[in-house]
Amino acid sequence: MERPLTKLLVANRGEIALRIIRSARLFGLKTVAVYSAADAKSAHVGAADEAIAIGPAQPAKSYLDIAAIIAAAKHCGADAIHPGYGFLSERPEFAQAAADAQIVFVGPRPEVMAALGDKVAARRIAVAAGVPVVPGIEAAEISATREFAALVGYPLVVKAAAGGGGRGMRVVAQAAQLESALGAAAREAAAAFGDGRIFVEKYLAHPRHIEIQLLGDNHGAVAALGERDCSIQRRHQKIIEESPAPGLSGAMRAKIIDAALKLARAAHYTNAGTAEFLVEGDNFYFLEVNARLQVEHPVTEMRFGCDLVCEQLRIASGGKLAEPAAPRGAAIECRINAEDPEHDFRPATGTVLHLSVPGGPGVRFDSHLARGAEVTPWYDGLLGKLVCYGANREEARGRLVNALDEFALLGVTNNAAYLRDIVASEQFRDAKLSTHFIDSFFSGWEIGKPEIDAAIVAAAITAGGAMGDIPSDGAALPLPAGAERRSPWDSLKNFELWGSRR
Amino acid sequence: MKLTRAGDLREIDAEVISRDGGTMRVRIGDRQLTAEFTPNADGGGVLAIDGRRYRVFGARRKDSILVSVGPASLEFKPAEAASRRRAHGLAAPEVIAPMPGKVLMVMVRDGDLVEAGQPLVVIEAMKMETTLAAESAAMVKHVRVEEGQMVDHGAVLIELSPSPASSVRESAPRVE
Repeated sequence: MERPLTKLLVANRGEIALRIIRSARLFGLKTVAVYSAADAKSAHVGAADEAIAIGPAQPAKSYLDIAAIIAAAKHCGADAIHPGYGFLSERPEFAQAAADAQIVFVGPRPEVMAALGDKVAARRIAVAAGVPVVPGIEAAEISATREFAALVGYPLVVKAAAGGGGRGMRVVAQAAQLESALGAAAREAAAAFGDGRIFVEKYLAHPRHIEIQLLGDNHGAVAALGERDCSIQRRHQKIIEESPAPGLSGAMRAKIIDAALKLARAAHYTNAGTAEFLVEGDNFYFLEVNARLQVEHPVTEMRFGCDLVCEQLRIASGGKLAEPAAPRGAAIECRINAEDPEHDFRPATGTVLHLSVPGGPGVRFDSHLARGAEVTPWYDGLLGKLVCYGANREEARGRLVNALDEFALLGVTNNAAYLRDIVASEQFRDAKLSTHFIDSFFSGWEIGKPEIDAAIVAAAITAGGAMGDIPSDGAALPLPAGAERRSPWDSLKNFELWGSRR
Repeated sequence: MKLTRAGDLREIDAEVISRDGGTMRVRIGDRQLTAEFTPNADGGGVLAIDGRRYRVFGARRKDSILVSVGPASLEFKPAEAASRRRAHGLAAPEVIAPMPGKVLMVMVRDGDLVEAGQPLVVIEAMKMETTLAAESAAMVKHVRVEEGQMVDHGAVLIELSPSPASSVRESAPRVE
């Protein structure tokens, strides 16, 4: 049944809200942004045709507030809602609330989402469909979990039933840590998803993370748009993703895609989703279905020459799935996060004082950042996704190294230099991919000594005023007309960083 | 002059020895290097050292200087604060919030004796839990926050005093 859409409310923030608004406009829709008090000056607010404030900074009172978002959609006459990823994207009650308000939810139906979005239920569906799963147990009680642990042995991994993107995941190396890990995982899960249920799986030694992009229309057709290898993870959070998966045999790829399609059909899946698998040797195991658009979807878009958000909108308005084009070349994405890679990846905040965005053929930067943008502690620390395409993996990798070299972000500590060193490394070049890649090759990473020397000199120049064009925090204004500019070095009498000129 | 990198107590001893136009001679520790700076229209510049060219940007923020070198971002602070702390015989006399967030758990009470590495507070920011631990043996002088409280970057969460069981000077941890 065709139902043309006219106005889309984007129930998200940051880079993904901006990215969805761009495609919705291309699709011919009016767009509505929603924002919390902390995001009033954010890029997605300015990009949309309309913007509606939905609450204070706390996610629970804004981006996670179903009633506030549905009220905003009704108020502005939106006939569709796109949830993005994270926040409410995998909450069946949100999809249901939209349906109850006669608003099209751009995603799977609530009952499908409930069945697949819940990792415990999804495992059951996979088993019934004959898809292999990692040995695991639903962690209801500590005693039953201890018995399971004794059976399969440590290490184990604790996961949130409602989780995604590594949130609420803990590896348990030995029995002594089990109880506290269950507690911490449950707390994190409750805080992040409003659902503290967890389950426990055997932790595989050196698996690769390979996932299949799925699309399903409302007429029963499902299609797979190839795989993504997301093995480069830090504490179960993906940081580098690519397609195709290097070295994956055609036979293995076909088997995994077949399993993903089986799952999608068994679940009557519609709209965009991703089936995640762990691959070790000749075995593969179903992990979970992410019943939404993934962060790393641009990797697939670049290889298939498609726009997955437009596909989602076409499906949501009742359109039929088109046969996907044949994939070409290779694409690699890395996630630039607000975190300090030299200090245990501690989350960072701050105001963007300068931003250099790379360009050139095959380079895409999906980000909401601009000079003056504020990164607050309230939300996920993803600052942007740098994605490069090439005729083959080496060309894509070379472009990504160059692009990261061109990138500069002052004001918010971030992992760009760390990503650059990973992508440029011979281990990454040689695709020694496993989910333990970071622990094996990049633990204890530090900024290079020559760069630190250059930074010390640059700090002296900054103190001296020769790099005074960049406004500091809270003073993001250009110099008033006629203001006299200090000439470089004039004030730099000596290396007096915090002297009388403070 | 002495400075430290944020999050790192090791002191960097550096000075500008001489300068001629955009060219400067700099000593860092016991090494010397020549650097040539060319400003760019974008507010930053290019720094040439040892035949390599680095794109750099810099800005002041509160008592920090922020610098980027290529894709790397660094933050420097004056060294005085760090040396003041060590004079107390503690790695740090205060447990400070490294970022704004919510206090999830407080594991100690006033008067508790803690070991180096013992977890004191768990705070949550960006949906991740961060555990703050004692950097050296100490006595908890005063817990300033309670669970559920929102704290700002740099807020003092717990005040510590030297552990009474050990001599202050002898137990001073070497952080360099």
